[in-house]
Amino acid sequence: MSIIIENVNCSRKNRSILRNVSLKIPKGTVMGMLGPNGAGKTTLIRLISGLARPDSGRILVKGEEAALRSVAFRRLIGLVPQENNFESELTIEQSMVCYARLYGLPKPRQQVEKICQHFRIGGWRQKYPDKLSGGMKRRAMIARAMLPEPEILLLDEPSVGLDPDMRQEIWQLLKQLRSAGKTVLLTTHYMEEAETLCDSIAFLRSGQLVYTGTTAGLRQYLSPLRELSLDEAFVELSHGGDGRLVQEVG
Amino acid sequence: MFKGFSAVFYREMKMLVRRIGGLGYLFSGLLFPMIYLLAFGWGLGDRVAVAGGYFAYLAKGMLAITVMMNGFQQTALSVSASRFYYRNFSTLRLSPISDSAIVFGIALAGTVRALAAAAVIFIAAKLFFGLELLSLPGLVGLLLTAFAFAAFGVAVGLSIKGQEQFSIIINFFITPMTFFCGSFFPIANLPDIVRQVVQFLPLSLTNHLLQAGSFGDGTGAEALALLLLTAVVYGYGVYRVHNYSEF
Repeated sequence: MSIIIENVNCSRKNRSILRNVSLKIPKGTVMGMLGPNGAGKTTLIRLISGLARPDSGRILVKGEEAALRSVAFRRLIGLVPQENNFESELTIEQSMVCYARLYGLPKPRQQVEKICQHFRIGGWRQKYPDKLSGGMKRRAMIARAMLPEPEILLLDEPSVGLDPDMRQEIWQLLKQLRSAGKTVLLTTHYMEEAETLCDSIAFLRSGQLVYTGTTAGLRQYLSPLRELSLDEAFVELSHGGDGRLVQEVG
Repeated sequence: MFKGFSAVFYREMKMLVRRIGGLGYLFSGLLFPMIYLLAFGWGLGDRVAVAGGYFAYLAKGMLAITVMMNGFQQTALSVSASRFYYRNFSTLRLSPISDSAIVFGIALAGTVRALAAAAVIFIAAKLFFGLELLSLPGLVGLLLTAFAFAAFGVAVGLSIKGQEQFSIIINFFITPMTFFCGSFFPIANLPDIVRQVVQFLPLSLTNHLLQAGSFGDGTGAEALALLLLTAVVYGYGVYRVHNYSEF
């Protein structure tokens, strides 16, 4: 297993954000973390990356405990946050060179050149982030996260706010990563994205994990007697069905 | 322990070079010390009796204020903005660089920024009032002060829960030190009870070192005290980075 989450609880200002979440993500698979706004998806990503600590429970990433943030752990993880967090004072290329240096990569400029070619980041890498479209920034953020070649990539809403063309482009990038054998955890609102990209999905609602499995299994689980669209399944699971509380699946 | 600090320093300096092109950034750290220097220098220069002359005294005091303000303010603002606005402090936190190296790299960049600003004030003081070169204790004092306040800036930048809290530190800590720690007049002029407290504040130590001609007469002990204070503040910065949590 690449990631093991055991009985994780997390709260902030007396509000419970995650409740007893347990999950396993096998090596080399892509898992989609779904759920409505405020379900706790981003918090879970932050806990896995070591940016925040759980109140109780633990998260192991290839045997390294996330909360301890060992150097070995930090080399395993690449994080693409929801918002653009490039340094506004630096061009995309300068920002990537800085990133490569932070990870101690030899010949940082050459490494940046290589990754930019791989992710088809052209002349616009010389521009400042505020001059770029959302899709360009997102692509550059994924490229930057992949610079140190982490084994595990965490993506928080990678295609939110993008037009369909750009979304397709991001999906192509993520498919490449899946082919390269990376373990990927992504959060998304889009059921179509989950079905296209993910080997498995997990559904969070009000901080509780209410489903883990495949999208096909989810449809079957929610409505064994009729065909549900993916969006219907999302709504069904978000609201716990017709007054029926969906049972937790560990 | 400090492995990787140069990458942090490099990143900070790259950003500084870009920022320094903005007039607002450049002048915000220089304007007040420059105004104080010129206003008090011209207005009171020949009326205040201080050993060595008031111009030289005031100019050194302004150097102390400059490194304090630029070391602290710009670093704290930069760190807090990277948390609240740009959301890229996490880039450092996720990288395989130790917490101590992160603080060292940022504080070192803050030190360079503070000393560069002090150099501008020094040149102005030399041109307008013929200030002589600084003594060795003065240089040591400036260096330690710049680093200590930059490290304090890291800690404050990571501690505050919103930009508005920043003004609390400025109003209750930085501003009183600006006026009471011997930058404008010797702390010996203060009432005994105030002096007893003020003499232990970092800027008082800096000013004493700046006014001293050479090590001796207690300046060694003051340099040591400033070094110790710097180490404590740096340790606090590392503690804040270690306990940093992002929601």
